Amino acid sequence: MIRLRGITKAYGRTTALDGLELDVEDGEFFCLLGPSGAGKTTTLKTVAGLELPDAGTVELDGRDLAGVEPYDRGVAMCFESYALYPHRSVHDNLASPLRSPRHRLPAAEARARIMETAALLGIEALLDRPVGQLSNGQRQRVALGRVLVRPARAFLLDEPLSHLDAKLRQQMRAELKAIGAVRRTTTLYVTHDSVEALALGDRIGVIRDGRIVQTGTREEIWYRPHDTEVARAFGRPRINLLPGTLTENGAFRSAGGGIELPVRAEAPPGTEVLAGIRPRDLSLTAPGHELTGTVYVTEVLGRSVEVTVRLGGGAGPGARPPGGGAGPETGAGPETGAPRVSLVAPRADTRGLGPDDPVRLTLRPENLLLFEADRPRRPGRRIGTR
Amino acid sequence: MREPERDVREREREAGRGAGRDGRGPGRDGRGARRVAGWLADAALVGYFVFALFPIAWMLVLSLKPADQLFSTYFSFTPTLGSYRTVLGGGEGIPFLRFFVNSLVVSVGAVALSLLVGLPAAYASARWRFKGSENLMFTLLSFRFAPELTVIIPLFVLYQRLGLFDTYVGMIWVLQLVTLPLVVWIMRSYFADLTPELEQAALLDGYSRTQAFFRVALPLVKPGVAAVSLLAFIFAWNNFVFPLILTSNEAQTVTVGALSFLGGDRPKYNLTAAAALVSVVPPLLLALTIQRYLVRGLSFGAVKS
Amino acid sequence: MGPRPALRPYLLVLPALLLTCGILYPFGLGLFYTLFDFSASRPRPGLVGFGNYRTMLGEGAFWNSAWVTVLYAVGAAAAETVLGVSVALLLHRSSRIGRVLEKILILPLMIAPVIAAIMWKLMLQPSVGVVNHLLRPVGLGGVQWTDTPAGALLSSIAVDVWVYTPFVAILALAGLRSLPASPFEAAAVDGAGWWYTFRRLTLPMLWPYVLVAVIFRFMDSLKVFDIIYALTEGGPGDSTMVLQIRAYLEAIRFQRYSFGISYTIVLWAVVYLAAMVLVRHLGRVQRKAAEAR
Repeated sequence: MIRLRGITKAYGRTTALDGLELDVEDGEFFCLLGPSGAGKTTTLKTVAGLELPDAGTVELDGRDLAGVEPYDRGVAMCFESYALYPHRSVHDNLASPLRSPRHRLPAAEARARIMETAALLGIEALLDRPVGQLSNGQRQRVALGRVLVRPARAFLLDEPLSHLDAKLRQQMRAELKAIGAVRRTTTLYVTHDSVEALALGDRIGVIRDGRIVQTGTREEIWYRPHDTEVARAFGRPRINLLPGTLTENGAFRSAGGGIELPVRAEAPPGTEVLAGIRPRDLSLTAPGHELTGTVYVTEVLGRSVEVTVRLGGGAGPGARPPGGGAGPETGAGPETGAPRVSLVAPRADTRGLGPDDPVRLTLRPENLLLFEADRPRRPGRRIGTR
Repeated sequence: MREPERDVREREREAGRGAGRDGRGPGRDGRGARRVAGWLADAALVGYFVFALFPIAWMLVLSLKPADQLFSTYFSFTPTLGSYRTVLGGGEGIPFLRFFVNSLVVSVGAVALSLLVGLPAAYASARWRFKGSENLMFTLLSFRFAPELTVIIPLFVLYQRLGLFDTYVGMIWVLQLVTLPLVVWIMRSYFADLTPELEQAALLDGYSRTQAFFRVALPLVKPGVAAVSLLAFIFAWNNFVFPLILTSNEAQTVTVGALSFLGGDRPKYNLTAAAALVSVVPPLLLALTIQRYLVRGLSFGAVKS
Repeated sequence: MGPRPALRPYLLVLPALLLTCGILYPFGLGLFYTLFDFSASRPRPGLVGFGNYRTMLGEGAFWNSAWVTVLYAVGAAAAETVLGVSVALLLHRSSRIGRVLEKILILPLMIAPVIAAIMWKLMLQPSVGVVNHLLRPVGLGGVQWTDTPAGALLSSIAVDVWVYTPFVAILALAGLRSLPASPFEAAAVDGAGWWYTFRRLTLPMLWPYVLVAVIFRFMDSLKVFDIIYALTEGGPGDSTMVLQIRAYLEAIRFQRYSFGISYTIVLWAVVYLAAMVLVRHLGRVQRKAAEAR
């Protein structure tokens, strides 16, 4: 169990962690997701004792770690750079923890553990190789091996898959959760890849500017994102955010007046809001609330097609001349002119669709999210749902 | 890690070389002209190296001449090792062999002390930003450029009072002015190139900080330590002004000793040449072994290669 | 448990710090001495304030030494830069001969400057030296190399050039080898000539490297001692009497310690100022070079 309370850490004038709070339960696989510079690595190193926080407490299994040296904390960490000892063989890299004063094992036992770990990761054949001769994927396995080779109170994994190519990454993602030691041990896993976080994390924490914005299961993060940025971080294509306002009778009215949907929101009428609609909740064929627009671009993704639609054009209410600029009433971003939405449709539904063709979209409102409008440097918080 | 890095550098070097050649306007003045230009360039290069190597060759000639042919001939003579025998045998009342040993003791001692003191300092200043670190580093660097006499003349007075004049300890102490900045600055640049995550990994493997330094950091900068030791040794060995002023006989070194053959009523050119050659053998041999690390060493880490 | 984390770096630098103080102490002591008339003839020195400096600055000998020092430093640094960069460019071609010669490029640099000066002294000896012997066929047999004022200064500079040209060449060669290839390939594709490539590409990109070498050489030759001590001892007359030699003679030969140290303090101040200006300039150049890449 890892518990961080009010962790603050600054390097000179830049604040890396700003009152960070985090709980990872026993045996849990916790994914910390955030863009680069958000403080992910600093968080891991703070748990490991490699960085000392300016303020706040770190607890591991109920024990306050203040003043406890890294080698006494009993955590194992996989560095983003792998940090393998370049002057040693694979075997010696794996053996390093087992030969240290704190985790020393009898030679025979150590040998057995190393073989076992190597077999688990499929690197038995590499044991005698110097680390310098390994490929990225092999290095990644060795780095993981050095973590798994000894029992630890917690595993700290810093983007262990980020330097791998797409195929290998997918394969390792599947393997990682299957490893018994990983299943049993409290694991704090850092990544900037939301797909990875959704696939691996028992729970996910979203970190931004040195603070945890939201923690929750993948369902909670997906269906109840804290703000527009969290909503945008998960799902490809990204969530569609339609600008609009709240009406007197508690409904969302899109900026062009194209649609009006009943919502439950904790805000007064007239508030500028964004309605979040996942691309999968839009369809070209199903019946329901309708939006009109013109095709902006289509991109084939295998069996399905991602269609981006410029709203407001075409024949519907609020129609404008084709190719027209942004109407003042749309409230859309300056660079886009009219707001655009993306959806993913089966290939059959999009046959014959080309740029500037008028389309009708239907919206499945069950999962609609409502956010405050974004402000500079402050993404809009979620204030309601359908 | 090392090997591929070197490959990349090799390849870049090849590319750069190719670029340099291609840059001379291909095709415009034809192959013949280019070949002539190549010859001229080689001739200029050979010209410089004749200038650079002739004095050494000439010393060899002088040192092999018998005394009676010193002034009568230039290039034809009966070679003899007599001069070397005289110089190393303590001829002319000059204990040159002892000077040689002195140089060895003093230089090795100075390098050892600098490593002992300088490695931890270099490591600390590369790993931690702490108050006064930069000041210390620049004070050390300023030693490199300070006129030696500013320190030596007061030391001359001081040493005579403290009994350090003409002693090994006194020499090793003052040579820190030469060797310590070199060790600290160069090793700092080596340590800075080493990602701290390697030592952090060792800490999490269960090693103490001291163990992490000795098991991980130090082995990885070993080439740097070797190179900087040799370079510091060479500079200490070649130093002249410190032993000139701060020693008289007991702790005198070869650089000062070689000059003494020029004194006396008739200068012994052959002996001087032999002494000069004997005294340049150690630095020359060492220098050839650290060619690869020389650039970084000579520029105090300012230029890496 | 080890020492408090914040103390760790201080403990590690403590020995070096002590040693540094040990070297700074005599420096401070020297500065202090210059305020007295401390000499062998006056074992009980009296306070003279800035008297030493006033005397020194009033003497023609000081200004002569300063002038000679500047001539020497500028001459040597300039000659070494031009020659060293040329040698580096020639070696960068990597002809077969060049690759062999490159291996022995450092030899002069590794020879103690004082030994180099001794070697040259033997060779430049007017009557029996080998240089004049070799020049005799072209009618230049009797050049008084180190026995005329101009000759002595030029000879000293020549020895400096002999010793330190490899230093500039090695740094410049390292610079040449680290230059990116693509601009040169682009220039070659555009059909740029050798001179244009050199002026517009090679030289500007190489300059930061050369500048490091120039700074080292200029500052080192301001405080030249070994070469002149062995070659001319400041003579003939005062024609090669650079500041450090003068300081040596005053302090050690004539045992006017305070007065001698005053010379070195002034030299130290000059070197320090030169260093500040040059290093700042280097920083600007390096930043610009980094931006250009």
